[in-house]
Amino acid sequence: MSAVIEIAGLHKTFHTLRQGRRTAVDGFDLLVESGQVHGFLGPNGSGKTTTLRALLGLVRADGGRMSVLGAESPGRLPEVAGRVGAIVESPQFFANFTARRTLRLLALAGGVPTTRVDAVLEQVGLRDRGDERVRGYSLGMKQRLAVASALLKNPELLILDEPANGLDPAGIREMRDLMRSLAAAGVTVLLSSHILAEIQLICDHVTIISRGRRVAHGRVDEVLAGFDQHEWRVGVAEPERAAELLARAGVSVTVHPDHLLVAGVDDAEVISRTLGEQGLWVRELVPLRPDLESVFLELTGDAPHPALPRQVDGTAPDDMVIDLDVRESREVGA
Amino acid sequence: MNLVRAEVERLAGRRFVQLMVVLLLIAFAVTVATTLAGSHRPSPGELSRARAQAAEDVAQMEATHTRCLRIKAGEVIPDENDYLPRNCAELDPALRSEPITAANYLSGVFVFAQKAEPLLYFLVAFLMLFGFLVGASYIGADLNSGGVVNLLLWRPRRTAVLGAKLGTLLGTLLALSAVASAAYLGVFWLIGQTAGLTGGTNAEFWGSLGATYGRGLGLVLLAAALGFAIATLGRHTAAALGTVAAYLVVWELGARLVLDIVEAVRPERWMLSSYLAAWLSGEVHFWDRFACDGESAGFCDGSYAIGWGAGLAVLLTLAAVLVAAAFTTFRRRDLI
Repeated sequence: MSAVIEIAGLHKTFHTLRQGRRTAVDGFDLLVESGQVHGFLGPNGSGKTTTLRALLGLVRADGGRMSVLGAESPGRLPEVAGRVGAIVESPQFFANFTARRTLRLLALAGGVPTTRVDAVLEQVGLRDRGDERVRGYSLGMKQRLAVASALLKNPELLILDEPANGLDPAGIREMRDLMRSLAAAGVTVLLSSHILAEIQLICDHVTIISRGRRVAHGRVDEVLAGFDQHEWRVGVAEPERAAELLARAGVSVTVHPDHLLVAGVDDAEVISRTLGEQGLWVRELVPLRPDLESVFLELTGDAPHPALPRQVDGTAPDDMVIDLDVRESREVGA
Repeated sequence: MNLVRAEVERLAGRRFVQLMVVLLLIAFAVTVATTLAGSHRPSPGELSRARAQAAEDVAQMEATHTRCLRIKAGEVIPDENDYLPRNCAELDPALRSEPITAANYLSGVFVFAQKAEPLLYFLVAFLMLFGFLVGASYIGADLNSGGVVNLLLWRPRRTAVLGAKLGTLLGTLLALSAVASAAYLGVFWLIGQTAGLTGGTNAEFWGSLGATYGRGLGLVLLAAALGFAIATLGRHTAAALGTVAAYLVVWELGARLVLDIVEAVRPERWMLSSYLAAWLSGEVHFWDRFACDGESAGFCDGSYAIGWGAGLAVLLTLAAVLVAAAFTTFRRRDLI
């Protein structure tokens, strides 16, 4: 598969009078290949939006190399801009223009046939509300309009920053279906989102960024597999005796009031056979697979702490600071 | 070209622009209505009385002029009531910048030739304000709301996008100003024809009015470019308004006062308003209070002039510097 987006060693530091230097992106790498639906995850202030803005030529990178659809960015971005649909954060539109007029003007400015307007309004579910002023739109409807503006070019590559912002559950589901249909039609999608379950449902690949650096990337199932500790929740009548039997068989066991937590076991048969041979019958045997949320929280050091409020912008409470140099980028699969 | 078409539509669709056009039309209608209400077509009797009075005044001025010449020639001894300028031509009615005509002696009659220039100045002032505010808000609102970012995702050429916006602004404004000014003067000329007098509208009059018209349009475009450039530099409409307010208070008022206290020579040279007035009216004269220092004998003319050329050079330089700075900054700026 050919690379659609390539970012290597991206650096960006902002300088402000009040706060001085603030490194937003620190040697970040990203590879999105043709046909992928690629999730881009990171906590608030981790550098996601800065990365996307730099990629789209809205922010000047201090270092690194970027390319979009084979064209170096930002230098040759105009050559491929017509094939890239993008929204960055929540784009604003003129409040007193209708959605149809907004899209028509964008189509006119971009040299896209204005006949596309009706098609994309239909695609994002705004067909019957397209002649209303944007002023009266809810946040979710504005988000649909933003996605419509990105789809207007019939793009080969779609870059969406938090497209589900403000959408209700039905809207999120529609957006998910839309992404799937686009992917099925061969559109490459880079999707930045906080809704981790959505990313897990929609995306086949994922890149996780924390404090401006890539901390994990690869196929979603392989990233998850990399964090699989082969844990099982075991329900049994005599937990203390069962724990002793399993420990004697060389298995790591933690006793909880109503179940056992068994770790490091690949095959459930080991547990059921060890206990069954001693007349203990298992009534619950559930594999505990990692989900994207737990992986994300572990990688980004964003797990909630019972005593301390979590800080945005990568500033964890002192006793929770994770050494990024130690926890280097984890390559999982191809 | 498509970008310009889209920008023209976007500009025309802005509420603020529509509001300002409505205000222009209201101001236009109010001026026309009050003029019509306060003017009437003079009767033959009124005209003949006015002509007689004008002729009488011209004759009196000619007599004064002749007496001045004779006093200078030593033919007549002056008395205490005689006014003797350095050059008697000052008193010659034939050399007056505004000749004495019957129109000067008509009450309640709108005379187009007399009022056209002040009316045009009013319209130019309004259009300058219009141009500055629309120029500033057009880009300021776009930068502030993220509209420019949205556009750059479609056309990632910053200079072209900003250039298209500035070009659209100036082109649209020029067309609007030209049409509005022509319509405005045309309506008042018709009022002069039907409910007043057109006055002495000879070729010289039309030439002078045309020059003022052209210079006024130039000023409107400069004001719009300045508003656009300052708002681009400050990323907000308010930046342009604040800069102008600060300039007026700090420099035109404050610095003028300080320059006066420290007795600076020709302080008007440092004020933009001097160059603006010079460009619009062709030439402005100021008094230099130190010009005649040490002059104990004879006549000393302490005035100095700033011409339209200097006015144009200063205003163009200011606009060019600010527009260049706006483009340079915009090309390099992080749009976050």
